[in-house]
Amino acid sequence: MSAAAKLDDRLEIDLGIFNPMAPEFIRDPGETWRRLVLEYPVAFHRDMGMWVVSSHELCLKMMMDLRFSPNFRHWEYAPPEKTEAEKDDYDITMDHSLFTVSPQQHLRLRKLTMPAFARHVMSKINERIRGLIVDCFEAIGAPDEFDAYATIAANLPARAIARMVGVPPEDEIIFIKFSNSVVKATRINLSPEERAEAQHDSLEGYAYLRRAIAERRARPFPSDDFLAALVTAGEADDRLGDWDILAVVMALIAAGADTAVDLHTYVLQGLLSHPEQYRLLQERPALQENAIIEALRQGSPGKLPIFRFATDDIEFGGQTIRKGQAILVNLAAAWRDPQKWQDPDKLDITRNLEGHIVFGAGPHFCIGTYLVRAQGGIMLEEFIRRFPHAELARGDGDLAYDYEHHNARRIVRLNVRTNVGAAIRHAA
Amino acid sequence: MSDAATQKWICIICGFVYDEAAGLPQHGIPPGTRFETFPEDWTCPECGSAKSSFEVMTE
Repeated sequence: MSAAAKLDDRLEIDLGIFNPMAPEFIRDPGETWRRLVLEYPVAFHRDMGMWVVSSHELCLKMMMDLRFSPNFRHWEYAPPEKTEAEKDDYDITMDHSLFTVSPQQHLRLRKLTMPAFARHVMSKINERIRGLIVDCFEAIGAPDEFDAYATIAANLPARAIARMVGVPPEDEIIFIKFSNSVVKATRINLSPEERAEAQHDSLEGYAYLRRAIAERRARPFPSDDFLAALVTAGEADDRLGDWDILAVVMALIAAGADTAVDLHTYVLQGLLSHPEQYRLLQERPALQENAIIEALRQGSPGKLPIFRFATDDIEFGGQTIRKGQAILVNLAAAWRDPQKWQDPDKLDITRNLEGHIVFGAGPHFCIGTYLVRAQGGIMLEEFIRRFPHAELARGDGDLAYDYEHHNARRIVRLNVRTNVGAAIRHAA
Repeated sequence: MSDAATQKWICIICGFVYDEAAGLPQHGIPPGTRFETFPEDWTCPECGSAKSSFEVMTE
C-alpha cells in the first residue's frame, strides 16, 4: 500500500466483510452483496489490495468512464513491459487486444468485426452450433437422472466457440486448452507464476491459429467460418491483420468460453428450482431470451467478475482512486442491487430488464453476448423439448461448487431428474 | 417496413439496430424519428454506448 493511499480518508473493507473465496459466501452470497451494495458501494479492500465497486449505479458509471481501463498494463503491479525480442505470440496478441488498444483503435476493431458478431448474423451461427448441442443431448439420451454440469455446461461452450471459429472436432482439445489458458493469463487474482504458466500453455494454440489463418488467406475463395470472415472483413483498404484476428478470437474466448459454463448451469438451476417459472417458459416460449438474462441476473454466478485500472487519480463515488490501482467491478453484487431491482433475489422471467448490465455496458460491452444468448437459447429449447417435466434431483440437484475457481461461483454438479418415465406413464 | 427516406443505424459495439421507420416507441421515440435528431448524450439502449458509436447500416 502506498503512503499516499494511507493518507486518503477512504472507506475500507476486509475479508471479514467480503471474502470471495469463502465457501459460505460462494454457497449463499446474497447478504454479503446486499451489504456491499448498500453500505460499501465503493470501498478499498485492504486484504485484496484493490477497490471494490458494487452498486448498479457505480458499476455502470465505471464501465462508461474511459479513465478506468480494462488494460492490465495500467495496474500498479503489472509486470514490466517486455522488449520486442522478448515477446511471444501471447504478448504480441495482447498488444492488439481489445482491452489494450486505444479507444479509437478499439472502435475500429469492433467495427471491422461487427459483421461476425451482430444479432442479425446470429442465425448463421445458430445453425453452426445447433448440431453440436443436439449431439450433446443425443449423448445424454433419456436417463432417469443426469448431471447437467458434466454433460452440458462443461461440454459445450469452448467447443461451440471452436465450431464457430472453424476448428475441426479433431483439433478441439488444442483449442480448449488455449481457451482456458488465455483467460487465466491476465487474471490479477492469480499469482505471477500461475499467469506465466497459463501464458506458456497458450502458445500451442496461438501457433495452431496462426497456421489456420494463413490457410484461410491462401484459399482462392473465402469459406463461411469465422476465421475466414475475419480474414475478409474490412472496409476499403482497412483489413484486419493476423494479430488483430487473434486478438478478436481471444476476446471471443474471454467473453464466451469459460463464462458460458455458468450460463448453462445457472439458467437450468434457476428455472428448475422455480418450477412455476419453468412451466411459464414452456407456455410462453417468447420469454426465452428474457428468461436467460433474468436467470443470469438472479443466479449471479460471478465471484470476481471484471477488473478495471485507474489511468489517473480519480474522484469516484466519494472516494479517491489512485492512478494504477485495480478495481473489482463487482457486477455480481450489482445485478442484485435492491436500489435497481424490486425483489432482487426473486427469479421472475417476465421481469422488465431494461437497463440491466448482465453483459456489461459501454465500449467493452460483452462481444460474445449474442453468441452466448444463442447458445443458451438452443440449449434451453432442446432441454425443454426432451425434459418438460424435469426437476432438480433431491431438491437442490446435489449442488456442488468448485470453491477454488478463479473468478466464478462455479457449479460443478447439478443433478437433474428427468421424469421421462413418469411422463410416458402419465401419457399412457 | 421502412420507406426509402429512412435509414437504419447500427451500434458498432453491440449490434443494436435503430430503425428510423419503426422508432423506439417503448422509449418514447415515435416511428419516423431521425437518428440525427437524438440529443448528443443519447446512449444505445442495449449497451449504453455513446451516440457516436452508431453508423448508418448497409444491408
